[in-house]
Amino acid sequence: MIIRKKLGGRILVPVALGVAASVSGMALFSQGAAAATVSGSVGSANTNSLTYGGTSGAGNAPITNLKLDSSTIALGKTLFVENCSSCHGDSAGGTSRAPNLVGLGAATIDFWVSTGRMPLADPTVQAIAKPSRFTRAQTLAIDAYVSSLATGGPQIPVVNLGAASLSVGEGLFSTNCAGCHTITGVGDALADAVYAPSLYPATSTQIAEAVRTGPGNMPRFGTGNLSDQQVADIVKYVKYLQHPNNAGGIGLGHVGPVTEGFVGILIGLGSLMIAGYWIGGRAH
Amino acid sequence: MNYKPIDWVDERLGTAKFTRKSLNKIFPDHWSFMLGEIAMYSFFILLGTGVFLTFFFVPSSADIVYHGSYAPLDGHVVSQAYASTLDLSFNVRAGLVMRQMHHWAANVFVAAIVVHLLRVFFTGAFRKPREINWLVGSLLLMMAILEGFLGYSLPDDLISGTGIRIAYSITLSVPIVGSYLASFLFGGQFPGDKIIPRFYTIHILLVPALMAGLLGAHLAIMWHQKHTQYKGKGKTEKNVVGVAMWPAYAMQAGGFFFLTAAVIAALGGLAQINPIWMYGQYIPYKVSYAVQPDWYMGWLDGALRLFPSWEITGFGHMIPTIFFPAVLLPGITFGLLMGWPWIERIFTKDTQAHNLLDNPRDNAWRTSIGVGVMAFYMVLFFASSTDVLANAFNLSLNFVLWAFRALVFVVPPIAAYVAYKLAKEASSASRAGRPRKAMVVSRSNEGEYTTEESDPRIEVELKRSAMHSEVPQPLPEEASFHAAEATGEGTSESEGGLAMSASSLSSAATGEMSERPSGGPEVYQVPPGTPGSGGGLFSPRGPKLSRSFEDPEEEK
Repeated sequence: MIIRKKLGGRILVPVALGVAASVSGMALFSQGAAAATVSGSVGSANTNSLTYGGTSGAGNAPITNLKLDSSTIALGKTLFVENCSSCHGDSAGGTSRAPNLVGLGAATIDFWVSTGRMPLADPTVQAIAKPSRFTRAQTLAIDAYVSSLATGGPQIPVVNLGAASLSVGEGLFSTNCAGCHTITGVGDALADAVYAPSLYPATSTQIAEAVRTGPGNMPRFGTGNLSDQQVADIVKYVKYLQHPNNAGGIGLGHVGPVTEGFVGILIGLGSLMIAGYWIGGRAH
Repeated sequence: MNYKPIDWVDERLGTAKFTRKSLNKIFPDHWSFMLGEIAMYSFFILLGTGVFLTFFFVPSSADIVYHGSYAPLDGHVVSQAYASTLDLSFNVRAGLVMRQMHHWAANVFVAAIVVHLLRVFFTGAFRKPREINWLVGSLLLMMAILEGFLGYSLPDDLISGTGIRIAYSITLSVPIVGSYLASFLFGGQFPGDKIIPRFYTIHILLVPALMAGLLGAHLAIMWHQKHTQYKGKGKTEKNVVGVAMWPAYAMQAGGFFFLTAAVIAALGGLAQINPIWMYGQYIPYKVSYAVQPDWYMGWLDGALRLFPSWEITGFGHMIPTIFFPAVLLPGITFGLLMGWPWIERIFTKDTQAHNLLDNPRDNAWRTSIGVGVMAFYMVLFFASSTDVLANAFNLSLNFVLWAFRALVFVVPPIAAYVAYKLAKEASSASRAGRPRKAMVVSRSNEGEYTTEESDPRIEVELKRSAMHSEVPQPLPEEASFHAAEATGEGTSESEGGLAMSASSLSSAATGEMSERPSGGPEVYQVPPGTPGSGGGLFSPRGPKLSRSFEDPEEEK
């Protein structure tokens, strides 16, 4: 029978596959719902604060300053002379190529060096984050050396995420940070080749350092703008954004409708056009 | 089988005659005619998932303190619309997959409409007598874009709220009436507390009802006027060659519905879309850098980004800059779109009715205009992601912006020119669109052998008889072809004045004649994918204008 042959070969298979795929697609919601229910614990699970060296002060302070080991100053000086002095000068006083670092505080030095932005390849473009050239101990030694030259400036913050509030952080982040880094923290291009970098690789300390010191084009948020508690809240929310509740499936890069549009057109409509080509006539 | 219920209905409504006619209705079978079906099935899925969402969504801008299951927003003052969207995403079983299916289906819906429109445009299916359906379809596209924007706005999250703010500014920019319009629509100043409930009413009631009505009209007109078909063997302006509504077409269409549902369900279950919990409640002083609208609004967003900040004064008043890209451009766009059948007629002077479709390459002017316009909107579309492109490729945002400002003028003419040249080249190439032909070796009376390419079959036959040479015996398939042709004319039915004469041709061509039991159902169809019947719209060989049986390769 022509019809039966046709139904078997060309029609029933797509129908059966379609029904099967619909059912399996629908079945996936249970996973989405399951992921949703654990959302509450996602934020609070991120409570391990970074502790290296010793911290000054204890208890429930949201941010404590890292105490730098003065015995590492000599090592720090050596590293500084080797890696930094060609631009910043032998005693960090600055040259025509690079600014004076004296009195900036350990947090500034630590942010630029630990994120790999320093040493810098090209001073005419925005510094690029890359794997740091130094170990953590070497970085802290450099921090210790530069901050030993003068007092003042923000110190390296160690964030106690256990004392921070995720939901307060969300409100502060969307007010103060999303305007450049986007609401998902993925970062974006700003005007004139300047960009707000992705926050996903940042450590808690680096986030707090960036807020306090304002690297590059970023505004500096002093204690008058944001209290230590508020900075800790923001850090907690940014750490959450690095592993957000991705209920609903693949996150598609968190850049919003751009990727969604491409998936909808290319995968959604594209696969349906292929399906139509499969079961439809191709003859004229 | 018990026919009593059917008889009962028939005796009262007289449905049997209509049903019989309908079930035998012939639809041309071609994959490109199924693009509109994707849109229709997406619409059905939108209706289904949308009804589900209305059970849980609260269309209110009233503030409540959120204490739901999404911890990062715990204690935030949010609107009920936003809170209920979070709840239906996290706490309602199947809520998130329904929401995501709804959103994916919307993206696929508009995309399918656009592709369907392109098919109709490039094949000239909008020509007389189908101008009305062209208008209805254009209205459906506009409605779909509007509906998508409204739905996207409802969750009241940070991204969509920015979109509403832009819409408010665009409304304000209309000269003279703008401020009144905006006030009327928003019930006062932005943001107010009325826009979400109003959008909701328009989104779930007004626009869907209009769309359902227009879709019904779209289908009814298509049904009444009968579907167009590509040129091809046995196809004329006065017939329809294809498959019958029942069972082949109904099964195919039904299967395609499930395939559409499958793809959308798979996307809804596997790919996250619009994770509003990460965006937070919309608050006017907050903004996320560089937000994009959904893709079908991308060309408008791109135009807004590209248009320079000129302050143009007219009649002593400054016309706001965004009026030009955001009001004038879509006005011109849809005006030209809807007026196209008449615009084209000015140039072609073509007042004939057409049921056979053009091959895009045979109408190089239309094709090149279409490609050029398409390129223009594609550039605008990509321009809406200037920031994402700049970030992804480490370019300066300003450079990307200026590059797009140049591309929007450079790309369309180049694309149109290339399309024109390609179309001309393709249609003027020797034997373009015709099947490969066999070489005919013939011997003249003097004993001289000549080799020549065979012409269309009938001419070959004429030549053969004229040459008085040895006429080769027809191949067995050819014999059955002639036999079928002879009987086919007697058996071809007419439906609404349109005769179906392809049955015999196709069945003979595929050799299915012998498989058909005597007295079995007649199947009026050209089996798709039949070897030798190829030559799709976009195949390099083009449509087969006449079928050649000389080439044995064609039959394999």
